[in-house]
Amino acid sequence: MDFSFSSDQQLLKNSARAFLDEHVKPAQVRLLWDDPRGESEALWKEMAQLGWLGLALPEDAGGSALGLVETAILQEELGRAACPSPYLSTVLAAMAIDRFGSPAQKSRWLPAVAGGGARATVALMERALDWSPQSIETRAEERGGKVALSGVKQFVPWAHVADVILVPALSGSTPAVYVVEASAPGVSVTPLTTLDPGTRVAQVTLDGAAVAAEAKLPADALAFLLQRGAVGAAAEMLGAARRCLDMAVEYAKVREQFGQPIGSFQAIRHKCAEMLLEVENSHAATYYAAWALASGAEDGALAASVAKSYVSDASRKVCGDAIQVHGGIGFTWEYDLHLYFKRAKALEPLYGDAEHHRELIVRRVAS
Amino acid sequence: MDLNLSPEDRAFRDQARAWFQRNVPRAELKTLEERRAWHRTMYDAGYVGMGWPTEYGGRGATPMQQAIAADEMARANAPAPINGLGVGFIGPTIIIHGTPEQKQRYLRKILTAEEMWCQLYSEPNSGSDLASLRTRAEDRGDHFLVNGQKIWTSGGHIADWGILLARSDPGVAKHKGISCFLFDMRQPGVEVRPLKQITGSSEFNEVFMTNARAEKRDLIGRLGQGWEIAQTTLGFERGGNSMARVTRYASAFDRLVDAAKKIERGGKPLLEDPVVRAKLGNVYAEMEVQRYAALRVLSALQKGASPGAASSITKLSYSEFEKRYYELCLEILGPYGQVTDGGLEETTLDVDSSSGVRSSWAYAFLWARAGTIYSGSSEIQKNVIGERVLGLPKEIRADRVAKA
Ligand SMILES: Cc1cc2nc3c(=O)[nH]c(=O)nc-3n(C[C@H](O)[C@H](O)[C@H](O)COP(=O)(O)OP(=O)(O)OC[C@H]3O[C@@H](n4cnc5c(N)ncnc54)[C@H](O)[C@@H]3O)c2cc1C
Repeated sequence: MDFSFSSDQQLLKNSARAFLDEHVKPAQVRLLWDDPRGESEALWKEMAQLGWLGLALPEDAGGSALGLVETAILQEELGRAACPSPYLSTVLAAMAIDRFGSPAQKSRWLPAVAGGGARATVALMERALDWSPQSIETRAEERGGKVALSGVKQFVPWAHVADVILVPALSGSTPAVYVVEASAPGVSVTPLTTLDPGTRVAQVTLDGAAVAAEAKLPADALAFLLQRGAVGAAAEMLGAARRCLDMAVEYAKVREQFGQPIGSFQAIRHKCAEMLLEVENSHAATYYAAWALASGAEDGALAASVAKSYVSDASRKVCGDAIQVHGGIGFTWEYDLHLYFKRAKALEPLYGDAEHHRELIVRRVAS
Repeated sequence: MDLNLSPEDRAFRDQARAWFQRNVPRAELKTLEERRAWHRTMYDAGYVGMGWPTEYGGRGATPMQQAIAADEMARANAPAPINGLGVGFIGPTIIIHGTPEQKQRYLRKILTAEEMWCQLYSEPNSGSDLASLRTRAEDRGDHFLVNGQKIWTSGGHIADWGILLARSDPGVAKHKGISCFLFDMRQPGVEVRPLKQITGSSEFNEVFMTNARAEKRDLIGRLGQGWEIAQTTLGFERGGNSMARVTRYASAFDRLVDAAKKIERGGKPLLEDPVVRAKLGNVYAEMEVQRYAALRVLSALQKGASPGAASSITKLSYSEFEKRYYELCLEILGPYGQVTDGGLEETTLDVDSSSGVRSSWAYAFLWARAGTIYSGSSEIQKNVIGERVLGLPKEIRADRVAKA
């Protein structure tokens, strides 16, 4: 039993940290916040070259066939940098196509994702704000050998830059996940402006959007997407929280009031200790879940829900407390703390919010 | 990263599981003698003092195997071994700092629980600030004369021996004048008065020492080395058993769910109430996180890392969680959670608490208040984490200023 990273995993983490420290500094994040697309083509191509986009994809698709732990390591670093990027949604969709897709779907999308030529996303939310298959309102109807999709998907991450969107819909009462090209007629994307400009979301309207009858993944893909999305989001939130903790501790060592560093006041020191506790627990929750899903452990789905619900609350508290430790400067736009505070917050409702995952936990353990 | 048990550890687990299933006592153990007999059975099977070196009667087991055994013990609802302080940290202290004669005289009887041990550290005016302790040990040539009072002494009423911190030199800085002794509790001059706890039971005591003796041969380490010794041994108190602790929480959770099916509110079982479900989901997630964190600590221990100040994070985390956990259980159970006798069977009997005693929800709830006080209160743990893990500046303290 070994909970620590292997040397390869540690190397991946270090090199990702070095790359992002160099190329995704807070100043770059701010430039992308102001950019209409919100992400950088050059950065995306570099991620492809570094092997990040194909990390968990098979080698014959140009990937490196690594697992969810490695993906989580990268996502933690991306969260730590508050890097604006459709990384999570793209990798998630690609993993689902890899697991459930037909050979044709795989060859169409996986090499394109791994090579940086395609972005993808998943449309898991609707008006009902419930991630269960029963509450899906989007319909899939057979029309002359094709399928027409109709419905409205809410808060779809990075839909405005996606080439392909995974769309859960009901055909009769049978759920499936449809693989929809964003350029197909009948698909329209309306971007929203939200609290974190580094996590773009959009409303996706399907107005009889036509897809080939075979362009779908089985219903199991739905739970797969929710679980792995949950762990990916937890990893990013963990990264954001760790960054805030580090900034708070550094600040508490140097900022002086009443003739002494504020870190010598227990009110501040104890807050920092609690933040560390939350961050370490979040680390355990995130990587346990990543490992459990990757290795097919029987509690993988449970662990994913544990991670998402726990880390949502923990990261909100840690990032918020970091602002408190900083005082007024922490409330300014110029100071970088809010980049991470907002990143953690923006991920709370995506891939199942804490409430939903707690309900999933209860269904599993208290039936 | 690989959280699977190694084949050897899996084999060990299966063996331990089978052993506990076969041997766990069917009837409740009421007297100390019955508990000692069960302790002895576990010892003979190799499940007590597993981490001790083989030359002193242990089996030199890895941290993982110790955790597995403790976990299986909890899973089988087995009564805990006795002499926990002796086996858990006084014995290991003697192994590290003791003389060959001390090892010969004391170690085996600690393991077999033939002699029971207690910890004589805290005093009425010296709790968190332990180094300010005032109990005196005066060198009288052939022995030390001990005068003073200890308090909160767990198991003092059944102890044959105690590990004692006393001031041997009042003339030097407070940390430097303390020595550590193995101390005979069954001598004239030692009076033990039980204190009744908020649980209603009396597991801790006041101990008055009036012209009592500590023998020269029972000094541990050097004169004046007591503080240092106490520091190394406090580390033993926290650590390897947190997996078993979570197993006990989990077994309580199952009881909670059973009760939530039976108890109704507004004509429906509590388990169908969305507010209750949200709370259950929340607390279950926290409990699982405690388990993952325990695995992480165990994996570090297994690699030979010494947890050091980081063990403060573990202690703070589980003790604060335990408080929230049983608070929430009682909140969900409402008045049923407060019944200690009578009422619904589901809500009164056999709930696990981290003290190892199976009793009522009310008992577990009350006992949970202890964990954030003993072995360094939560506030002290946060000081340690802040200063020694995060490297934050030390607080300005009156005693440090005075000495500077
Ligand atoms: C169930 C139980 C069993 C015990 N068993 C034993 C035993 O077997 N042997 C033994 O020797 N002792 C034992 N103890 C005693 C225990 O170690 C002490 O209670 C503990 O060290 C706290 O000391 P105190 O009670 O004097 O509280 P105090 O030290 O007076 O603390 C009171 C409050 O002040 C806070 N405080 C103190 N100093 C600071 C600081 N620097 N910064 C911030 N806050 C501070 C504390 O956190 C606490 O909230 C036991 C206690 C309990 C509850």
